[in-house]
Amino acid sequence: MTPTIQLNGVSKFFGNIIALKDISFEAHQGEVTALLGDNGAGKSTLIKCLSGVHAPDEGEIIIEGKPVKFSSPRQAAAAGIGTVYQDLALQPLMSVSRNFFLGREINKGLFLDLDEMSEITKREMAKLGIDVADPNQPIGTLSGGQRQTLAISRAIYFGAKVLILDEPTSALGQKQQLEVLRTINEVRNRKDIAIIFITHNDLHARLIGDRFTFLNRGRILANGNREAIDTDNLRSLMAGGAELAELEAELKN
Amino acid sequence: MEDERLRKVSSLQSFVSRPELGSVFGLAIIVVTFMSLTTVSGTFSAMWTNPIGIQAWVELAAFVGILAIGASLLMIAGEFDLSMGANIALAGHSFALLLTFGVPVLPAILITFIELAFLGFIMGTIVVRTGLPSFIVTLGFWFASRGFAVFLSQTLVNQSRLSVKPYLKPPAGGGEDPTLIDNIFAFDKAFGLPFDAEVYYFAILVIITAFMLHRTRFGNWIYASGGDAQAARAVGVPVNRVKISLFMISTCLACLLGVLTVMTSGASDPKAGDFRELHAIAAAVIGGCALMGGYGSVIGAVLGAFIFAIASRGINFVPFIDNNLFRVMLGMMVLGAALLNQFLRNRVLRG
Repeated sequence: MTPTIQLNGVSKFFGNIIALKDISFEAHQGEVTALLGDNGAGKSTLIKCLSGVHAPDEGEIIIEGKPVKFSSPRQAAAAGIGTVYQDLALQPLMSVSRNFFLGREINKGLFLDLDEMSEITKREMAKLGIDVADPNQPIGTLSGGQRQTLAISRAIYFGAKVLILDEPTSALGQKQQLEVLRTINEVRNRKDIAIIFITHNDLHARLIGDRFTFLNRGRILANGNREAIDTDNLRSLMAGGAELAELEAELKN
Repeated sequence: MEDERLRKVSSLQSFVSRPELGSVFGLAIIVVTFMSLTTVSGTFSAMWTNPIGIQAWVELAAFVGILAIGASLLMIAGEFDLSMGANIALAGHSFALLLTFGVPVLPAILITFIELAFLGFIMGTIVVRTGLPSFIVTLGFWFASRGFAVFLSQTLVNQSRLSVKPYLKPPAGGGEDPTLIDNIFAFDKAFGLPFDAEVYYFAILVIITAFMLHRTRFGNWIYASGGDAQAARAVGVPVNRVKISLFMISTCLACLLGVLTVMTSGASDPKAGDFRELHAIAAAVIGGCALMGGYGSVIGAVLGAFIFAIASRGINFVPFIDNNLFRVMLGMMVLGAALLNQFLRNRVLRG
């Protein structure tokens, strides 16, 4: 099966800094590809390359078998890349449905079709298991997990084939983290969307991931599916493998 | 459709989270206060029933209100225009100069609007391209606009106050003062309407902008640009274009007032619109606009303009209160309103 999105030897340089070097991995529809890495591993740069903010200096991005080049986030979105940033790109003072449709409003004549927008918002959120009682309430009334779901369902509604989730669980409390993982599972169950789940939480990655890619200092440390990478390996890769072993040795002395 | 999860929100409660709330109460308080005060000083009918008395505060409210529309839209988008008052003088001088040079009235109006729209475009572009606070950029133009207006008229015709009466037609049926009776732009004279033209423009503009703000895509974008510009850009809102357009709207509103002032007074005045930008900003703040952007309404700013106008004119009808206390009162109202807004905004954020 052709992967929904595939990266071949992607590199990105900022002056003399090598932000990403030779990154290759793939994501398939109906699967969660967990992209793990510590702070500074190059996760954000990679997201920006995928979502059209930066153009890679080397290598290629292939979507459904066709190489693509994005010069703007708009182009990436049009090609089916839906990015849900950590800050979610939501307007705290605006209503749920206005947030859902911001930038892509539905008009009836000259004016906004508020009823239609509310209805769609309610329906799309319900698909991911969140019942929004009143889509006209401000975002402030939603929990962190529900906001995450709103951003995800918005990306899907507007045609994401590849859903990039940037640390969706990192700023949330325990209960809400699980809520988000449940939402990710709902998206996976649709079978038509490839999910790239960026995280530094190995527990969450293990819970939901089908494939794993480890980034360290701008390079791929390891790539593999569930079988290839066992739990211990996962944890030590996360912590930087050799460095962890070194520290372990140090602490024993 | 009945939904058991829907927390029943009483109409009173949903009203509480609207940005206009403070100004509704403020207006009620101001009206009651001045009705009582004028009753005590025996000037009630002079202010509230006499046509000239009513004209005094309604026309002031319209003047400040037209600017406050621009101020509130900009403030909701997270920006500021301090140059509005100065632009009134600039527009007035430009219009008067064009008349002096023999340009007919309507083309002169059109050219003046184009000039002022261009000025708004320049200010907006500087703000969005450089990232300088609009407070600083428009402060620069606050000095520059008025200075340039007076410089132009002094250099070109050696006068700082330009009378345009020679270029206007005499009123129908004869009379002393020439007016622009043949002109749709100052239609109050032509139709013998009770208020100055700006009152009607004000009413029309309020309806248009209120609908635009709450019921159109552009209005949505205005809120988003001021709420979280980065987030708005991420979903494809053309934040820069929105902000530049609003600066252009702001300068065009100042232009409307500048031209109307020249028409009604028959001369351009280098001090026209002095301090009006601050009055308009005060009206917007009293009306519930948050200085940080993302929150507010045009209707609120309109109510704010009425509060300002009633207090400002009303004080003249109450001889036992010193006029200067008006400013003290206004200052306290702005502070109180800002505090109230902060409280309301936090309520919305917390839900």
